[in-house]
Amino acid sequence: MSTSLAISVQGLTKDFRVGLAGHKLRAVDNLNLEIPRGQVYGLLGPNGCGKSTTLKIILGLVAPTAGKISILGFPSATREARSRTGFLPEAPYFHKFLTGRELVNYYARLSGVEETKLKSAVDAALELTAMTEAGNRTIGTYSKGMLQRIGLAQAIVHEPELVILDEPTAGVDPVGAAAIGKMILEMRAQGRTIVLCSHLLGQVEQVCDRVAIMDKGRLVLEGRVDEVLARRDRQVISASHLTDAACAAAEAALIANGAKDIVITHPRRSLDELFRELVKGSRDA
Amino acid sequence: MPDSMKSSFRRVAWISRITFLEAIRQRFFAFLIVLSAALVISSVSFRFMDFGHGELKFVADFGFGGIFFFGSILALVMTAQMFFAEIENRTALTLLAKPVGRFEFLVGKFAGVWAVLGVFIFTLCTLLGLVLWGRHQELVQIAEASGRVPPDLSVGGIFAYTLLQWLRLGVIAAMVLAVSSVARSFLFAVVVGAMTVLAGQLQWIAQEALLRDKELGVLHQAFLWLITRLIPNLQQFNIGDALTLDVTSVQVGAIGAASLSGGVYIIVLMCIAGLAFRRREI
Amino acid sequence: MLRALTVVGVALALFVAGCFAENSWRLVRTSIPEMGRKEIEPTLGQGVLLGILGGLRTVIADGTWLRSYVAWEKRDRAACEGLMRTACALDPRARYFWENTGYVVGYDMAHWEIRRRGGYAKVSQEIQDGLFKSYAQKGLAVFEEGAKHTGGNPGILISAGQMCEIKLKDNKLAALYYKRATEATNVPWFAYFLCAKSLWEDGQKTEAYSWYRKQWLEKLKGVGDSSPDDLEHLRYMEAELNLPLLQRIPRQTWEK
Repeated sequence: MSTSLAISVQGLTKDFRVGLAGHKLRAVDNLNLEIPRGQVYGLLGPNGCGKSTTLKIILGLVAPTAGKISILGFPSATREARSRTGFLPEAPYFHKFLTGRELVNYYARLSGVEETKLKSAVDAALELTAMTEAGNRTIGTYSKGMLQRIGLAQAIVHEPELVILDEPTAGVDPVGAAAIGKMILEMRAQGRTIVLCSHLLGQVEQVCDRVAIMDKGRLVLEGRVDEVLARRDRQVISASHLTDAACAAAEAALIANGAKDIVITHPRRSLDELFRELVKGSRDA
Repeated sequence: MPDSMKSSFRRVAWISRITFLEAIRQRFFAFLIVLSAALVISSVSFRFMDFGHGELKFVADFGFGGIFFFGSILALVMTAQMFFAEIENRTALTLLAKPVGRFEFLVGKFAGVWAVLGVFIFTLCTLLGLVLWGRHQELVQIAEASGRVPPDLSVGGIFAYTLLQWLRLGVIAAMVLAVSSVARSFLFAVVVGAMTVLAGQLQWIAQEALLRDKELGVLHQAFLWLITRLIPNLQQFNIGDALTLDVTSVQVGAIGAASLSGGVYIIVLMCIAGLAFRRREI
Repeated sequence: MLRALTVVGVALALFVAGCFAENSWRLVRTSIPEMGRKEIEPTLGQGVLLGILGGLRTVIADGTWLRSYVAWEKRDRAACEGLMRTACALDPRARYFWENTGYVVGYDMAHWEIRRRGGYAKVSQEIQDGLFKSYAQKGLAVFEEGAKHTGGNPGILISAGQMCEIKLKDNKLAALYYKRATEATNVPWFAYFLCAKSLWEDGQKTEAYSWYRKQWLEKLKGVGDSSPDDLEHLRYMEAELNLPLLQRIPRQTWEK
């Protein structure tokens, strides 16, 4: 089925029943999302904002109260959709008695990888995640970073078009996190769509093409990273070959025309700052 | 067989294989199998306690009793544990995010646990069979020397009992899976599962009352009828003594009927588990 | 609607499974010794439950029987009878339990009751006789039940006959039990003699001789060591009845 969207979420609402009285707790509130193919998409939000629930609904692990979700044109939770999707949950746990290679082989078989392509698929997944050498060791001996990497290998072994990663760098040291970031970019280069949930906003900024920020189950911002990070209350004049004298003259001219707080720099704020500002604003409302 | 069914079987086979490998490594399994084996072997030493039942009957009862008791505990705890390990460790997340159906997941779990229970039952019944056969040989020699009639022992009967007990443990595993599918915690699943197993072992009382007491009131009969339809009869598989030592007392078709009943129970309970698990939030 | 259909589907599936189980139970139940539930109720929760559940029935029955000995030594009638009956109920095909429970109830318990009431000197002979008879009848009921559960075990029936003879002084009833015993397989040779003797002592001398003679000619003649003893008894009866020579059993070549 051909569609330009990897994921389409329309009017998604999820209520959980809490306690004996069955009070409703709204985890996701009328969420609309459109994630284009071939991009790295960041889904951000504070703890309890509903992003994990959204991912679970997309993956068919939780049933929505209302709304329509399709993955690559197929209704979510169908076998067609899931066979084209790879998923790495937050802090993954795997059977410790299996070796990394056995685990990836197991998930490849569950994903329906053909017997003839099995070995090459497992090898490719292990290679991409830099786990070829450690693949023959049992998972019980793995470090946290290796666990994440083998988790990533099981997610991509069947060459899915869409890869959903929930906190792939949680608890991983900066070097490991950077390696995972590199793998994400490699996957994008292969034409896959990656949905990334992470608290490491610096990394999200580096690897994501688009981001969506959620709070209290609602979408509070969505767009291209460059666009959402740009500040509309300021202007940036970009120029090359500008000498110091020319800079001073330009500054004077700006002051003469009523401009204030002139800073000659790259006018870009951090994603971290924007994230906290947006969440705080939403909470105050 | 269509390709979709073949690949479904393959997925189930792989889930059951991993479940089996995980379960067989459990210390709990090793502990119970060693304990039961010790009970079976020691049964010969305790035969002096017997009060005129016939020595083999005492040994058989001691062994069958141990297999029955520890097998029930194993089926109950291991099924719940294998199910909740996937849920609580969140391996079910990665598993069910793959193109694996929820019913396939449940059947895979069931098959893996049932295979472990098969290892338990076949190992212990083989051991008991050897103990009984060894003592039987001695008793035959003693009987021949004293001109008495030697006691009966049917090796085929032990095998039939093994199959029936395996089926009974399968029914227990399916019952526990049905309970686990709706339970929120391991403890709840084990406690409620134990109660259902207990009810299943005592169901025959209601069944007997329904078949025998024709003078019961309509309401009483309706109640018994309902009970006997809702609760599986687990007592129907406990004919080890008769099968092994007095095979002539077993009616023709009894083993087939009990096997069929056990098979139907497993299918029905697995369907109930599947229905309950279908909409469970992982 | 879908939920209601699901519930109906589940109920229907359980109904089908229940029907299969009922059919299976009809065939299987004959292979499982029937348990006396009422006898078990008082001792439930003392390890007996496991026996009811289906495992270790013989072992638990044996354990219960051992515990009944403790109650027997203390002459605790209620506990002793309860535990012995539990053992019988748990393993109803064991002759040993029925036979010994019958003996203890029929022979011992009347003495315990007399002792409880102050001893033989205090309790009048009339009451003592009443107690002996009443407990003997209870013991007899135990033997009856035991015979029912063990497919008419001749040992239990002979014990019942002895109870009738010794405690109830009822030779007619004793003869009936002995006769039932002789109809079973693996009957001991002396059961025939005991039956004939009871009939004889009941005054049915001709019937006793005719029956004993018939059994001797059809079943006992030439079988094992009992044959000469039985013939000796028959010769005594012929002499007592003053039978003409032609009506007597012809002389055997091996007869002294």
